[in-house]
Amino acid sequence: MELRQERRVAERPLVSVVDDDESVRESLPDLLGEFGFAARTFLSAEEFLASDRVDQTRCLILDIALPGMSGPDLQRELKRRGQEIPIIFITASTDQTVRPRLLEQGAIECLFKPFSDTALLEALSAALRADERSAL
Amino acid sequence: MEVQPDLASGEVKHLQRCINDLIGLLALPAIWSGGDPSQVLHTLLDALMRMLRLDLASVSLTDPVGESPVEIVRIAEQRGPMPPAHEICEALSQCFKNDSRKWPPPLRNLMGEGDVSIVPLSLGLHGELGVIVAAAERADFPRQTEALLLSAAANQASIGLQEARLLSYQRRVASELDQQVVQRTAELATTNEELMKEVAERRLVEERLRQEERELKRSEVRKAAIVDSALDCIVTIDHEGCITEFNPAAEHTFGYRRDEVLGKHLADSIISPSLREKHRQGFARYLATGEVRVLGKRIEMTAVRADGREFPVELAITRIPWDGPPSFTGYLRDITERKRAEQELQRSEAFLAEAQHLSRIGSFSWRVATDEITWSEQLYRIFRIDRNAQVTFELIGTRIHPEDLSIFQEHIERSRRDGSDVQLEFRLRMPDGAVKYVHVVAHTRGDYGELEYIGAVQDVTERRCSEEALSKARSELSHVARVTSLGVLTASIAHEVNQPLSGIVTNASTCLRMLAADPPNVDGARETARRTIRDGNRASEVITRLRALYGKKEPTIESVDLNEAIREVIALSLSELQRNRVILRPELADDLPPVAGDRVQLQQVVLNLLRNASDAMSTIDDRPRDLLIRTELDDNDRVRLSVTDVGVGFEPQAADGLFEAFYTTKDEGMGIGLSVSRSIIERHHGRLWAKPNNGPGVTFSFSIPCKPEGLTSDGTRASRLPSGADAA
Repeated sequence: MELRQERRVAERPLVSVVDDDESVRESLPDLLGEFGFAARTFLSAEEFLASDRVDQTRCLILDIALPGMSGPDLQRELKRRGQEIPIIFITASTDQTVRPRLLEQGAIECLFKPFSDTALLEALSAALRADERSAL
Repeated sequence: MEVQPDLASGEVKHLQRCINDLIGLLALPAIWSGGDPSQVLHTLLDALMRMLRLDLASVSLTDPVGESPVEIVRIAEQRGPMPPAHEICEALSQCFKNDSRKWPPPLRNLMGEGDVSIVPLSLGLHGELGVIVAAAERADFPRQTEALLLSAAANQASIGLQEARLLSYQRRVASELDQQVVQRTAELATTNEELMKEVAERRLVEERLRQEERELKRSEVRKAAIVDSALDCIVTIDHEGCITEFNPAAEHTFGYRRDEVLGKHLADSIISPSLREKHRQGFARYLATGEVRVLGKRIEMTAVRADGREFPVELAITRIPWDGPPSFTGYLRDITERKRAEQELQRSEAFLAEAQHLSRIGSFSWRVATDEITWSEQLYRIFRIDRNAQVTFELIGTRIHPEDLSIFQEHIERSRRDGSDVQLEFRLRMPDGAVKYVHVVAHTRGDYGELEYIGAVQDVTERRCSEEALSKARSELSHVARVTSLGVLTASIAHEVNQPLSGIVTNASTCLRMLAADPPNVDGARETARRTIRDGNRASEVITRLRALYGKKEPTIESVDLNEAIREVIALSLSELQRNRVILRPELADDLPPVAGDRVQLQQVVLNLLRNASDAMSTIDDRPRDLLIRTELDDNDRVRLSVTDVGVGFEPQAADGLFEAFYTTKDEGMGIGLSVSRSIIERHHGRLWAKPNNGPGVTFSFSIPCKPEGLTSDGTRASRLPSGADAA
């Protein structure tokens, strides 16, 4: 138990959150922590790209509408760089048409705010499976 | 005698005495010559009394010449007092009526005893002159000699009397002649005097005539000078209508020389051909009946010049007061200019009246000192007051809406005091209860020492009604715009609400998980719970803003902090702007004074400008989509907001059209944004305009006045919304 705990802490996969909304940046890390992830938050796509966490990030929770570079822009940029990080898009928009488009372009999931903890957990699980597949 | 020596010596003496007496008697006429009958008789009786020693002698004259009858009586002196003469004559005439042939009749002595012998002696050939009576008491009376003496005396008396009568007659005739001469002389003198007077009068008359003649000449000269120098044409005609006078003004006006037209018929010269027949008829009527219809009036007619050109004249005809055949003077004046001026004036007046009618503007003048008010016709129509009514403030007052009467009167009083310009809008109430809005503009005219206002009154009822209707339409339009915006913005609004909702859900989930852990992570749960509350407030805040922005309500005026209002709009629009990759740079001035206005409407304008700016940059990829929103206090103490983009801009010539309703450059826009925005700003007494930048893009700006000092600022309540930070 102790060991597992330690191991989990040590091996906690890093989930990066990019969102300009403060509520999201404040609330998500705690929930991710409860799920057993390590979490880092970024205000913008540019900030994330400039950080040293891109390589460590096992899953990216990415807001679609961002000041400056948008979520999909970041997705394209990462793909261009060859860094295939599984991405869960989140959006406050109610436009349901964006979801299939994003999934088509390789997103794990697209969650509409407000989303439930279980929906997020499922998406995260899927993301990790995808990450493991790509790592293999 | 000597042959009869026997005669007694007494007898001789007696005879001698008798002869003496006879001679004496015969001498009497010499004494009488030139005397009057009474003088003759007096001397005769005195002589008889003395010669014949009579006791009584009397004489009675009948038919005295031009004199009263004469009766004279002599009585001997010794006989004492004498009875009245007429008694004696009466007695004598009694006895003569008896038989006069029985002479001498004895008579009773009237004066004593016994009888008296009486001898009557007739005077004149037939006694026609009268009678002399001689009487004596002696019985022998008369003796022969005495009878002779008496008869001689009677003859002498007759002759004397005849002469006296003749003389008297001659005198009378002479006197009459004299009188006639005197009378005639007097008559002649009178006649002479009258003649003199007449001569004098005649001279006077002649002098007067000469004077009159001189004056007449002078007057003629003067009259000629007047006629010659008169500006009016003076044309005289005789009773046949031929011209007898034609003054220089007439020569000038009609183009005829005087000598050309004198004697010519009027109808053949200056009368227009179209009127000649009428003139001839009129003249014929005059000749037949003496009736002249055109006398003493000013009439207008058409005349013709020598060159055939027709022109209007004013004509007055008078008849020359003269005994001879009637003649007439015509005074003519070329009124071409006046006619044209009149026509122009009429046209101008009609034009003005029509313009006033069309524009519903009436004009007036008001002499302040006398309160004399003059109205144009249209003004009577606007007030619905009878055209003939005398306009007074009292009358005007009856038409003014009772609620506006005091304002009206205040303005009048102020104008009366200081002569300031008047600009005033007030309502009228018609007798039927209809309400009219009128706008009055007036200013004083200082031309004539006294204060006089000249002004215009416009019936703006329709405008006011349409303004109200327009305002309502705009309000509705603005609501449509809002609803449209709502449709377009739904996504971003949902986005705005969903952000805090997302936080709430996540925090709440985390909280539950933390509490469910073993051991429960209470501190973490508390933290997440706090964040939940904060996000809940944040969501609520968004809802409040939305309700304010999209609820349709009447505009309210309050004190608005424009910066605060802009921050709220930015908060609402930020995510949309970010989505459009617009980089918003607010430069809001510190200490910006509040403005008076409708907060939500002003926010709509700001929102509209931000959205337009964002849209204008949606296709720009070669440069950052910078959007500057700036507030400042301008030089005129007005608060100015400007929104500057770097978008596609617009063609300079399109600047005017930008603000028209339904003008749009956007495919999906409705184009009412800017027009509604402008009307909102104008209602805030402000101005909204657009200007191309020096670089790319456009700057939209509006400026509105600061809140007036007097306005109570109860609007601060709405100007501060609870913020998330405060609640946290």
